[in-house]
Amino acid sequence: MERWTDNRAWFLLLPALVVLAVVGGLPLLAVINYGLHDIFTLSETHWVGLQWFEDILDSDRFWASLGRSLLFSALALTIQVPLGILVAKLLLPLGRRAVWGLVLCALPLVVPFNMIAMLWLGMIQPQIGLFGGMVQANGFDYKFNPVHTWVLILFVDTWHWLGLVVILAYAGLSSVPQPYRQAAAIDGASRWAVFWYVELPRITHALAIVFLLRCVDSLMIYTEAFAINAGEPNDATRFLSLDLGEEIKGFSYGQAAARACIYFLIVLSIVWVFVIATRENRRPQ
Amino acid sequence: MMRKLALLALAAFILAPLVQAIILSFTATLAADGNAVGSIGLMNYANILTTPELQSAILNSLAYVSVNIALCLACGLPAAYALARFNFVGDRHFLLLILVFRVTPPVVLSLPIFIVFAQLGLVNSPIGIGIVHCLFNLPITIWILESFIRAVPREFDETAFLDGHSRAGFFFRHLIPMIAPGIGVAAFFCFVFSWIEVVFARMLTVTAGKPITVAISAMFGFQTDIGAVMAMTCLSLIPAVILLFLLRNYLAKGFILRS
Repeated sequence: MERWTDNRAWFLLLPALVVLAVVGGLPLLAVINYGLHDIFTLSETHWVGLQWFEDILDSDRFWASLGRSLLFSALALTIQVPLGILVAKLLLPLGRRAVWGLVLCALPLVVPFNMIAMLWLGMIQPQIGLFGGMVQANGFDYKFNPVHTWVLILFVDTWHWLGLVVILAYAGLSSVPQPYRQAAAIDGASRWAVFWYVELPRITHALAIVFLLRCVDSLMIYTEAFAINAGEPNDATRFLSLDLGEEIKGFSYGQAAARACIYFLIVLSIVWVFVIATRENRRPQ
Repeated sequence: MMRKLALLALAAFILAPLVQAIILSFTATLAADGNAVGSIGLMNYANILTTPELQSAILNSLAYVSVNIALCLACGLPAAYALARFNFVGDRHFLLLILVFRVTPPVVLSLPIFIVFAQLGLVNSPIGIGIVHCLFNLPITIWILESFIRAVPREFDETAFLDGHSRAGFFFRHLIPMIAPGIGVAAFFCFVFSWIEVVFARMLTVTAGKPITVAISAMFGFQTDIGAVMAMTCLSLIPAVILLFLLRNYLAKGFILRS
């Protein structure tokens, strides 16, 4: 549908721009400004230039945290995206009843963030947990065994976010016209071939959204990881955002602000890749 | 058969922690008031509803979520109309801007937002949290409303103008009733995403105005009454689950991103 061309439309964006300036623009300017200062108190600050940025980028700690976060993000995406598509494929033939499956998958998405880890820590607690006995009998020790901590965080994160992948994959898959699948089936295509050549190319946009949301969220995972083991054992689960949270709690505002700037740039570059990729994708259609 | 088994396993995986939470919420986990540990009953809920801090936490949550929904709709409706109906210089840049704000993790902006809001006098009040949550809810509102407005043919606007309606009159008397379902969907996602958010809510409530999520965290201590914690969690889930049920056909809308 054609749209009117009129630059006065900006006036309609004004209220939204004002709100976004207060909650996003001002804080971003503030964080850049604080990142360039040493802050004793908010009224006593010293200009340090790019000192904090250099310190952070020179520290092994930052690169180690970045590596752990990238690994976590990669694992989360590798587990959750195929699993979510699989669940969506299972729900697809149910027709209208599939919506109840979607509601089920969406339940974890409406649980308060800080309770997600608590619910699962309760599950594996030896005295009261439904899985408590089983988990303990198998020697599962998420407090002191780094692999077990990783497994638990990945498990909890998958519980939390699988519904998002299922919902968007289902929305994409259900918009593929049924005759396409039937035609492919008549031509003797296997179910795998139908998925790979008929369905997948048509749900790439929906999947791109899933990838962006899950990529950024898992890279910056904070609440769950902090509640489960606060970066322990021996920093094995110290992700990017846990470093930042620690600096804020320690009142190192200058360093924390510089770190926040760096993280913002990381997020910005991921968004940029997403935008480029989806535009390239859309052009041929 | 395989499909049924797989779906049952999925349901068990998703429901298990929630079922345990519900069971615990009806179980006495700390001996008090003559209730032996392990007895079943409504004591945890009774406890919560008679504890003033937890009562006010529920009211605080409702207050800031209402502020957030009102603000998102008031700012989102005109913006969505502009994006759905007009081409203008910088429209794509605006979409990119809101996309960036939507995906920026709260922990990255929590420190400067605290400092800025402290200077604006918005700390410890539900209004502050309601405003901050616009960071991710306003983009979502704009995307959802834009898709609903776009579905209304432009001829609808033009006929109304020919009939002598002003743009504002048309907007309030004709367009808003047309896209009422979209407004409902947008309000639902604002509610849910704002209701469950923790990082900003905790940062901005230092001494007062604590919402449910923060109040739950505060219940953990030397002797945690896990039954009461779970009862509070279950209470906090009720409104979102009801809304989830009502808007089940629109679930994908809340996670749409546009660039």
